[in-house]
Amino acid sequence: MDLSVVELSSDQREFTESVRAFCVEHVTEEVLEHERLTGDGFNERVHLALGQRGWIMPAWPAERGGAGLDPVRERILELELARAEAPWVTLGTTRLVVAAVEKYADPLIREDLLRGVAEGTVRFCLGYTEPDGGSDIAAAKVRAVRDGDEWVIDGSKIFTTGAQNCQYTFLITRTDPDLPKHKGLTMFLVPLGGPGIEIQPIRTFGNERTNVVYFGDVRVADTYRLGGVNDGWTVLRGPLDAEHSFGGDSSARKLADLSVGRSFVHALDRALDTAVTWAVTPGPDGARPADDPYVRYRLGEIEMDIQAALCTPGPMGRVKCSEALVHGAAALLDLVGPEALISEGAADALGGGRIDFAHRYAQGTATYGGTVEVFRGMIAQHVLGLPRPSFPGAKVLIQKKR
Amino acid sequence: MDSFELRYADYSLTEEQLAVRDAFREFFASECPPDRVRAAEPLGYDAKLWGQLTELGAASMGLPESVGGDGAGLVDLAIVAEEAGAALAPVPFAEHVAASRALASAAGTAGAAGDVLGAAGERPVSLALRPAAGAAALVPAGAAVRDVVALDGDTLVLVRAAEPAPLIPNQGSTPLARWEIGEGAASRTVLGTGAGAVAVYQAARAEWQLLTAAALVGLTERALSGAVEFVKTRETMGVVIGALQGVSFPLADVAIGVSGARNLVRRAAWLADNEPGAHAGLVQAAFAYAARVATHGATTSAHMQGGLGFTTEADASLYFLRAKGWSVLGGDPARDVMAVGDALVARALAG
Repeated sequence: MDLSVVELSSDQREFTESVRAFCVEHVTEEVLEHERLTGDGFNERVHLALGQRGWIMPAWPAERGGAGLDPVRERILELELARAEAPWVTLGTTRLVVAAVEKYADPLIREDLLRGVAEGTVRFCLGYTEPDGGSDIAAAKVRAVRDGDEWVIDGSKIFTTGAQNCQYTFLITRTDPDLPKHKGLTMFLVPLGGPGIEIQPIRTFGNERTNVVYFGDVRVADTYRLGGVNDGWTVLRGPLDAEHSFGGDSSARKLADLSVGRSFVHALDRALDTAVTWAVTPGPDGARPADDPYVRYRLGEIEMDIQAALCTPGPMGRVKCSEALVHGAAALLDLVGPEALISEGAADALGGGRIDFAHRYAQGTATYGGTVEVFRGMIAQHVLGLPRPSFPGAKVLIQKKR
Repeated sequence: MDSFELRYADYSLTEEQLAVRDAFREFFASECPPDRVRAAEPLGYDAKLWGQLTELGAASMGLPESVGGDGAGLVDLAIVAEEAGAALAPVPFAEHVAASRALASAAGTAGAAGDVLGAAGERPVSLALRPAAGAAALVPAGAAVRDVVALDGDTLVLVRAAEPAPLIPNQGSTPLARWEIGEGAASRTVLGTGAGAVAVYQAARAEWQLLTAAALVGLTERALSGAVEFVKTRETMGVVIGALQGVSFPLADVAIGVSGARNLVRRAAWLADNEPGAHAGLVQAAFAYAARVATHGATTSAHMQGGLGFTTEADASLYFLRAKGWSVLGGDPARDVMAVGDALVARALAG
C-alpha cells in the first residue's frame, strides 16, 4: 500500500505552478459563468489553449501535438484542472474515442484527425443512446445502408452531449438487422456539419445541455467507417470499457482515482464545505448551528459517506460515488433548509448555490455512462459470479412492428 | 483534507502482507470451520485456538520489538483481523492487540504490565471500551481474560483477577462480562494519569475500532459469499434465483459496501501508521461505515436465503448475530459518525 503524498521534483513543482497559472489565466470567472449559463461542458478558448500546451493529449510526444507528460505530471494536470472546475465533458468524450480512432480509422484521415484532436480543433461526442433505447446501446437502430463508396444514415440519437461543439460523433449504427444483435453493428465517425443532420438542445435540471441528433439521409464516405462492417461492437468495446472503468493501465492506477465516479464526489465535497461553513457561522443570537450535536451528526454522516465513496474501487465505486452524492446532497438540503435552495446569483445564495447545484446535478450521475443498475448487473456477474439473467432481447434485436 | 492533493492511491498489498494473509486464511480454514465456532458458544472463546494463534505470532506481532514483538503496523494487524473476522474466530484478537499495545506503550515490560505481556501466549488481555461511571464496566472478552486495561477518569489502570469474570450471555456469543475497574477492584495497577494516560487509552480504543472494523469486513464478505453460493443453486419457477435482479442487486450492494469498507479501513490504518494524528475522524468513519456495511450485509445475505437464512442451523445466522454483536460493543456507532462531524467542524473552526 502507498497512500502518501507524491513527492515532487523541483521540475514537477514548477509544472504544478504552470498549470495553476494556466487556470488563472484561462479558466476565468467569465468561463465559469459561461458554463453556468450554457451547461456546455466545453469552452472553445480554454480547449484551444489546452491544445496549444499539448494538454489535450498530454502523454503524447510533442511531435504528435502532446506534451510528453509523465504520469505524475499528467495527474497534476488532471487534478488542477478539476480544482479550477475547467469544463471537461467534451474533453472527456474526445479522449474516450481517440483509442478507437488510432486503432481503426482509415490511414487517409487518421493522422489529420489525431493532429486535430491534439490541437483542439477536432472534438468527438458519443453517439450511443437512442430515444427508445436507454442503456442497452447494442440495441441501436440507427440505420446505415451502403451505397457505393458511401453510407446513408437514418435515425436519431439522444444524449449526444457536446454535439454542438464537436466536429464528429462516434456513431453506433445498425448495418444488418438480421444478424444477432451485437453482430450487426458498425461504427462511424460522422462529420456533424453536413446536410441532413439536425442538432436539437435538451436541458437538464443539473445545468447541463445535451442533445438529440437527427440523421435524415446523411451521406458519409466509407472512409469514416471505423473497423469492419458489422464488427462495430469490437470497436466500441475499448472506449466502453474505459468508460466503465474495467481494464485500463495498471501502472497508472497507483495515481488514478479508484473509480470513474470520483468526479461526482467533487460536487458533494463542495456542497459539504458550504454546509460546514454555514454550520460554524454564528447566527443573530450568537449560536452556531454546529453547537447542536444533531447538526454535527448529519455532517459527519455525509463526510463518512464521501470517504467511503473515495475508497470504493471500479464498478462498485461508480455506483457508490453517485449514490453518496444523491443521498448526501438531498440530506444537506434538508439540514440547511430553504436557504440552501436559493439559486446562485440571487441575494443570500449560500456558498454560491453549491448545495442547490449538487442536488440538481446528482440525479444525472446515476445514469451517465450506464445507469447504476447496469453497473449492479456488472457487479453481480463479474464480481460475484452470479448467472446472467436471461432476457428475450439480450442476443437478438427486437424490432417493433410498424 | 484537500481533495485535489496529489497522493498515491495504491491499495495493493506487498508480497509479505499477502503471505501473512494467506497463512492466516489457511490456518482459519483448517482450524476454525463453523463447527468450531459453534462449539465455542455461548462463551465465544476457544482457549486452544488462542494458543494456536499465539504460536503463529498473532498475539505479539503488533508489539514493539523492544518488548519482544514484531513491530507490525496497523495495516498488517488489520489484514489478520479481517481473516479472523471472516472465520468468526472465537478469540479476542482486536481486544488483545489494542490492550497489549497500550500496556507496552504505557509501561513497557515493567511490573504487572510485563507479567501480562509475558503471559499473552496462555491468556489474552482485554480493553474496557466504555467508562464505567460508578458501576462495573461491560468488558468485551471480559469472560475470557484475567487482565483488563481500562480508563477510570483520567487514570489508565490495569485490573487483574484470578479468574475471568462470569459470562453474560449475549446475541453475538462474545465473552462479555462485567469488571469492576474503579477503586474497588481487587487488584488494580495504575499505569498513568493525566493527558498522556488518556491519550494512550484513546489510541488503544481507536486501534480496537480499526481491527474490529477489519473483522466486520471479513465477516460481511464471508456472509456474502455464503449467500452467493446459495443463490447460484437455488431455483424458483425454473430459474436460478441469483439471475433475478431482485436477488442479485441487493447482493451487489453488499459487495459495494464490502469493497469500500475494506479500503477505508486499510486507508485509516495506513494513515494511522504513517501520518499519525493528521486525519482526525477517519478511524471513526471507517468503524461506523464497516459497522453499517456489516449490519446491512449480514441482514441481506441471510434474507437472500429466505427462511433458511434465519434458522440457527444455517451458517448465515452465525454472521447475522455477530454483525451487531461485534459492532455495538463500544456503544452506538452513530456516536462515531458524530465524531466525524466533530472533526469536520473543529477543522473549519481552526480555519
